[in-house]
Amino acid sequence: MSRPITLALVATLTPALVALFLAATPFIRRRGAPAAALTVLGSVVSFGAAVMLLLSRLGQTGTELFTVPWIRSSARVIAEAGVHVDGVSASMLAVVCFVALCVQVFSLGYMHDEPPADFGRYFTYHALFLFSMNVLVIAPNLLQLFVGWELVGVTSYLLIGFYYKKPSAAHAAVKAFWVTKFADMGILFALLSLFVATGTFAWNVKLEPAVATAVTMLLFLGVVGKSAQFPLHVWLPDAMEGPTPVSALLHAATMVAAGVFLVVRADPLFVQSPTTRTVMLVLGAVTALFAALLALVQTDIKKVLAYSTCSQLGYMVAALGAGSVLAGFFHLTTHAFFKALLFLAAGSAIHAVHSNEIGKMGGLFKKMPLTGAAFAIGALALAGVPGLSGFFSKDLVLEGVEHKLHHVPYVILLATAFLTAFYMGKVVFVAFFGPPSSEQAKHAHEPGWSMKLPLVALAVLAVVAGYFAAPFARLYGEPYHFHFGVGAAVAAALGLGGIALAWTMFGGGKRENPQVMVTVERIAQSRAVNRLYEFGYRRVTLAMADAFAWFDRYVIDGMINWLGYFTIDAGRRARPMQTGFAPDYVLAVVVGAVSLAAWAVLR
Amino acid sequence: MTLSHCLLLASALFAVGVYGILTRRQIVAVLLSIELMANAANLVFVSFSRFRPSMSGSGAQGQIFALFSLALTVAEVAVGLAIVILVYRAHGDTRIDLASEMKS
Repeated sequence: MSRPITLALVATLTPALVALFLAATPFIRRRGAPAAALTVLGSVVSFGAAVMLLLSRLGQTGTELFTVPWIRSSARVIAEAGVHVDGVSASMLAVVCFVALCVQVFSLGYMHDEPPADFGRYFTYHALFLFSMNVLVIAPNLLQLFVGWELVGVTSYLLIGFYYKKPSAAHAAVKAFWVTKFADMGILFALLSLFVATGTFAWNVKLEPAVATAVTMLLFLGVVGKSAQFPLHVWLPDAMEGPTPVSALLHAATMVAAGVFLVVRADPLFVQSPTTRTVMLVLGAVTALFAALLALVQTDIKKVLAYSTCSQLGYMVAALGAGSVLAGFFHLTTHAFFKALLFLAAGSAIHAVHSNEIGKMGGLFKKMPLTGAAFAIGALALAGVPGLSGFFSKDLVLEGVEHKLHHVPYVILLATAFLTAFYMGKVVFVAFFGPPSSEQAKHAHEPGWSMKLPLVALAVLAVVAGYFAAPFARLYGEPYHFHFGVGAAVAAALGLGGIALAWTMFGGGKRENPQVMVTVERIAQSRAVNRLYEFGYRRVTLAMADAFAWFDRYVIDGMINWLGYFTIDAGRRARPMQTGFAPDYVLAVVVGAVSLAAWAVLR
Repeated sequence: MTLSHCLLLASALFAVGVYGILTRRQIVAVLLSIELMANAANLVFVSFSRFRPSMSGSGAQGQIFALFSLALTVAEVAVGLAIVILVYRAHGDTRIDLASEMKS
């Protein structure tokens, strides 16, 4: 086993051991603090291994593969499990482990007031999540990737429903599970089709054009669910019922990016289907704009960030659809840093104010300079202000889309860039500047070191990650040259313009609400997509269920019941034959005997 | 006197017994009818032993069997009479239509 493989295995299996150990020892888990320490320690080991792996991969483009037989038929090995190390998995592993470590350290402070048993449970879930995500990242074939994919789905369910005594959290968990599960059926069928067509679960196979389109469209259905693309985005805003660090890790930085990762991985398949790529481009652009519009009118800081995540994932999907895989993957990486930063900073603010509403914050920058600065850096990076990581990756995405001359998606994405800057500006100005809007906001103060440290680490990366685009591209085996062209200038200008507009409307404690915003708000409040699903559920699914129930009750059960009643009735009718008088039985015997004798004689 | 005569007599006895079982309302009379049928069977045994000795090994097997049968019949009558006594205790009479417990 070569060194990169060993490192990847260490990064993956350490959290698995931690999760197993904590699952098996409730007396340790319920004490809380030891469980947390163990989980964080495991993540440190994972992160260390991932970083060493990434450093060892610098300047290399080859692939290291290690597999063991997993599913066998009598004739051959059908599927293998193992480790696939290349630029993509090495960098993704490092990002996942880094953000996970930051979030876990942050959680030490954020979740400190939970009862010890819940505290331990929380960290056990986190260890399980890190293992699941890494299984997905290092997968050597689509089947193992799917296993990791479902495992993160389960951990997502557990963590969204962490406050399971709260009905809304329980509902959100179930909703997230069902929506993504519906989409995962696409992946299941994609895998089956792929296996039927080629006999493997590999992503680098040549397919018939029609099969390629079918397989990639089905895979893309899974991506739409997991990466919260329109119209299956409805679960992500509800998932904000989970603890804020969970939102940062699963529902912003890593798990929802798994869909994008899948497309990056299965790029050799997606290349073969221009149709799927066009669909991805269009749907990604639509999601980006649609979610940005909804983010505009949210008053819950986490919901703003959730819709923003949808929107940025739309960017990534659009980039992948335009064929610039590197752009999509790079945006995934920078987005992981700055969106985790935003969520954690928001968590710090929520922790101080005890409310998610930006209307109840205000003036936090003076009380919590570090949190405020961290959130501002995240917001600037997200808005695509030149010099920060988001600018470089967003520019790469836009360039990729423009390069392929997709004018309409290009314009949509530019508009989204403007809206993104605007809504982030709004949140920053309303929540962190101006006068405090509530008693709690007046007495807000900075959290402890365990919450500050991850903010600083993520903020640094949110600033500098963009400058690593060139080595990042080399990992992936593609050239990268940054040039500040017209496109970048336009995007930067739109970003700054959005922030400026937000300042004129919300700066210095102003609360303007122009007609446009009211209209968008009305659209958001109509919850059209959600209502569509509710309609579909009530009118179609339940109606079908009723129909089947009727058929089952009156036809299937009816037949069985009729048979039962018939038997009972037949018995009732036959009962008088048995008189209970001995002579009658003798008569029957005699008649029988005589008949037999007659038959024997006359035969 | 030939085998046919004996068999005809046995058949007549048997028929009388069957008729008795079917028509008598007193359990004792029914028991007596059963005895008639059993003895008809014994008569057949003995007749064949007498007129067709070659059908069995020693030539006396039919007569020996008839003796066994008589012993069995005695035992059966003992049980039957016990039942008659129980029916009498239960119903104060020995009419057979009173003993309809078999219907449960």
